[in-house]
Amino acid sequence: MTAYLLNLAQLAAIFGLLSVSLNILIGYGGIFSVAHAVFFGLGAYAGAHVALDLFPDLLLAALASALIAGLLSAALALPALRVRGEYFVIASLGLQMLATTVFTEAQAITGGLGGLVGIPPPTLFGFTLADPLVFLFCCLAFLALALALVRQLMRGSFGRALMALRDSEMAAEALGKNVALIKTLAVVLGTAFAGIAGALFAFQEEFVNVESFTLDQSVLILAMVIIGGAGTLSGPLIGTLLLLLLPAALTFIPFIPPTDIGAVQQLIYGFAMTLLMIFRPAGLAGRAMGRR
Amino acid sequence: MLILQLLVSGIEAGALYALTAAGFALIFGATRIFHFAHGATYALAGYAFVLATRLGWAWPAGVGLALVVAIAFGLLLEAAVYRPIQRHHGAFFTVFVAAFGVVIVVQSLIELSFGRAFIAISSPLTRAHEVLPGLYIARVFWLALATAGVVFAVLGAFLARTRAGIGLRALAENPDLLRAFGLSSRRLSALAFALGSALAVPGAVLGAMTTGLSPGVGAHVMLISLAASVMGGIGSLRGAALAGLLLGIVENLVVAGLDTQWSEAAGFVALFAFILFRPRGIFGAALVR
Amino acid sequence: MSALLSARGLTRHFGGINAVEAVDLDLAPGIITALVGPNGAGKTTLFNLITGHLAADAGVVELFGQKITGHAPHRIARMGLARSFQDLRLFARMSVRDNVLAATEPVSWFWQPGGVRAARERAARGAQALERTGLAPLARAEAADLAYAERKFLSLARILASGARIWLLDEPASGLDPASRARFTALLRAAVADGVTICLIEHNLDIVIELADRIVFLDQGRKLAEGAPESVLGDPRLAAIYFGERA
Ligand SMILES: Nc1ncnc2c1ncn2[C@@H]1O[C@H](COP(=O)(O)OP(=O)(O)O)[C@@H](O)[C@H]1O
Ligand SMILES: [Mg+2]
Repeated sequence: MTAYLLNLAQLAAIFGLLSVSLNILIGYGGIFSVAHAVFFGLGAYAGAHVALDLFPDLLLAALASALIAGLLSAALALPALRVRGEYFVIASLGLQMLATTVFTEAQAITGGLGGLVGIPPPTLFGFTLADPLVFLFCCLAFLALALALVRQLMRGSFGRALMALRDSEMAAEALGKNVALIKTLAVVLGTAFAGIAGALFAFQEEFVNVESFTLDQSVLILAMVIIGGAGTLSGPLIGTLLLLLLPAALTFIPFIPPTDIGAVQQLIYGFAMTLLMIFRPAGLAGRAMGRR
Repeated sequence: MLILQLLVSGIEAGALYALTAAGFALIFGATRIFHFAHGATYALAGYAFVLATRLGWAWPAGVGLALVVAIAFGLLLEAAVYRPIQRHHGAFFTVFVAAFGVVIVVQSLIELSFGRAFIAISSPLTRAHEVLPGLYIARVFWLALATAGVVFAVLGAFLARTRAGIGLRALAENPDLLRAFGLSSRRLSALAFALGSALAVPGAVLGAMTTGLSPGVGAHVMLISLAASVMGGIGSLRGAALAGLLLGIVENLVVAGLDTQWSEAAGFVALFAFILFRPRGIFGAALVR
Repeated sequence: MSALLSARGLTRHFGGINAVEAVDLDLAPGIITALVGPNGAGKTTLFNLITGHLAADAGVVELFGQKITGHAPHRIARMGLARSFQDLRLFARMSVRDNVLAATEPVSWFWQPGGVRAARERAARGAQALERTGLAPLARAEAADLAYAERKFLSLARILASGARIWLLDEPASGLDPASRARFTALLRAAVADGVTICLIEHNLDIVIELADRIVFLDQGRKLAEGAPESVLGDPRLAAIYFGERA
C-alpha cells in the first residue's frame, strides 16, 4: 500500500510539473498547444539515453532533457508562431500525430513500441536514489522550482508581456512587445520543464515507450490545466490531483469492470471539460463567470 | 501498376475526405465556429451504421439512421455547447476545449459500447475486380466517386439557387448583410450544422466498409478536416473539398515509397508546409486578426 | 516646420474595396490633427498602415525622418509612436496597474535592462499615468471589470505611460459622458503642452472644433480635404458627404 501511494505521489509530482509547464503556454501565453506530450516524450527519451548510455545522474538527465525539448520546441515554434492561434492549435495537433509516428518508427533511438527498458535508478552527486521517498522529494523539488519560477516571472515584466499578448496581441505589439520572441521564450521555457518531467518519468517507470506520449496524454495534461484553472498558480495542481485520483477512485466503484476504467475516466473528464467551458470557463481555481 | 492502384485508393479516400472537410468548411464559413467535434459526428454516424447492420437493417435504413444521428448530434452541439459559449465571451479556445471534451466523451462512449477493436462491415461492394492487369477496383470506388459528385452538385445548386443557400453564403461573406436579407442567422447557423454534419455521413458509411472504424477515428477525421480546411483556405468550400481529395491521394501515394505508418504523417507534412508558406490556403483570402 | 510623421501615397485594397487610396498625411509637431470622415472611410485602416499592423499595397511612411515602411509594429512602436484602438483591446485579465506597467516595458526578456533604478522610474511613470487619467484608485481592479469610461481612460493611460511622442487615437472620446469628455480634452491638451503630437479620429464635430488644430477629411479611402477646422468644416460639399452618409 505504501509503495502504491508513493508511486501515486511521484506521478502526481511529475504530472504536476507537466501541467504547471503547460500552463505557461496556455494559461499565461494563450498559446494553445495539444502537443505537450511530445516534449514530455522527448525529455523521457533523452533522460533514458543519458541514464542508459552515460550515467544515470538525475541533474544531468534533467538538463539534457530540458535542452533537447526546449531547443526542438524553439525550432518548431519559431515558424509556427507566426500564424494565427487557430492555425497553431492545428499545427500542434498535427505535430502530435507526426511525433507519435516518429516515436514508433525511430526504433534506433526510441526502441519503437518496445521502448527503452531497464533504466537504472537515478544518482545524485554520486549517491544512488534507491529509496522511492527520496526520489519523490526530488520530483517535488523540481515541481517547487517550476512553481517558484512561474510565480516570479509572472509578477515581473516578462509575465506582464506574456499575459498582455494573450489578452491582445495587437495591443501588445502596439506597445512595443516583440510578440514572436516572447511567445517563443514562453514555449521554450514550458517545454523545457516538460522535458524535465519526462526525465523524471523515465526514472520513475524505469521504462519508456511511445504509449505515454500520444494525443491522449497531451489531452490529459490539457484537461488538468483547463479543469484546474488556466492562468492561475494553483489551478494546474488542483487539476492534476483530481485527474490522477480519478482512476484510483474509480477502481473502488464495484460495477465498473477494470478494463473499462480508462474509458470511464475519459468520459468523465471529457464531460468536465465541456461543462466547465459552458459554465465556468476559467476553471475551478479561476474566477466565476458572474463576476465579469 | 502499384502507383495506379494507390492512386485509385487515394481518390476513393480523397472523395470521402472532400465531403467531410466540406462539411467542416460549411459550418465554419456560416458560423465562424471551428467545429472541432466534426470528427465525433463522423464516428457516431459510422457506428450508427454498424449498429443498424448488426440489427439486420437494410442498408438504406442504416444510412438513414446514420444521417439522423449525425444531424441530431450536430444540432445538439450547436444548441447546447457552441451557442451558450458564444453568448458569453466565447473565446476561440473555449470553443476548442469544449469541442475537444465532446470528442473525448464520444470516443469513450463508443469504446464502452463497441469495444476498442477495429470494426469493419463486410460488403460485396468492397470485393475488388481486376479491371486492368494488376489493377483492382471495387465497386465501392465508383460509389464513393458518384456519391461525392452527386452530393457536391446538389450542394452547389442549393447554395446557388435557394434562398437559404444564398443566406448561408452571405453569412460566410458578411454577417451584417444578413440583417438586410431578413433571414435569421440563428436558423441559418442551425441549418449549417445540419448540412455540414450530414456531409460527414457518406465518408462514415463507406469508411465503415472500407478502412473500418475504431473509437479514435474521430480524431483522425478531425485532423483531416482541419488540414483540408487550412490547405484549402479557411471557410472555402471548394478549397476544402479539393484539399481533402489531395490529402487522400497523398496519404495513399506515400505508401509507394514508405511504410504505411507514414501515410497519415505525410498529410501533416503537407499541412505544415501550407501553414508556413501559404497560410491563406489554395483559395482562401488571408484571415485578418 | 517639418512633419514628425509623414505618409505618402498610402494605399490598401481589400478585395474590391479601396479602403485607403493614395493618401498623404503629415503630422506636424505639437499639434492635434483630427481625422474625420463617414464610417468606412478608411480612417482605422490608415492607422493600421502607419503602425505596421497592415501591409500597404503602395506608399511610404516616414517617422522622425526615417523610413518605416514594412517594419514590424513593435519596432515602430519603440520609436515613439503609440496608438489606441477603436475597440480598446485592453489587457482584460490583467490589473489596471499591470496594463499600464506593461506599456512602460517595451522590451521584455526575462529581465528588464537598467536594474532597480530604471524599474522604479518605470513604476513612477505608470503611477503618474494612472493619476492623470483618474484611475489610481482602481489600480488593483481587473481591466475587464472597469466601467465604459474607465476603460477608455485606461487605454489612454497605457499610451501616456508608454512615453510615446506621437499618439494615434482611434475614436477615443466616443460614448463619453460630458464630465468624462471634459477630462478627456483636458488630458489631451496637457499632453500637447508636454510636446506630444496627436492625430485623432473623431466623429463628434464639437470635440473636433474644440481640440483640433488641423483637419484631414477622408471619404471612401481618399483624402478629400485638409486644412484649418473652419475651412474644412465650413465646406458645404464635405458637410453633405459627412452628414449624408451618416443619416
Ligand atoms: N481587415 C479587413 N478586411 C476586409 N475589409 C476591411 C478590413 N478592414 C477594413 N475593411 C474595409 O475597409 C473600409 C474602411 O474601413 P475602416 O478603415 O475601418 O473605416 P473607418 O475606420 O473609417 O470607419 C471598410 O469598407 C471596411 O469594410
Ligand atoms: Mg474605424
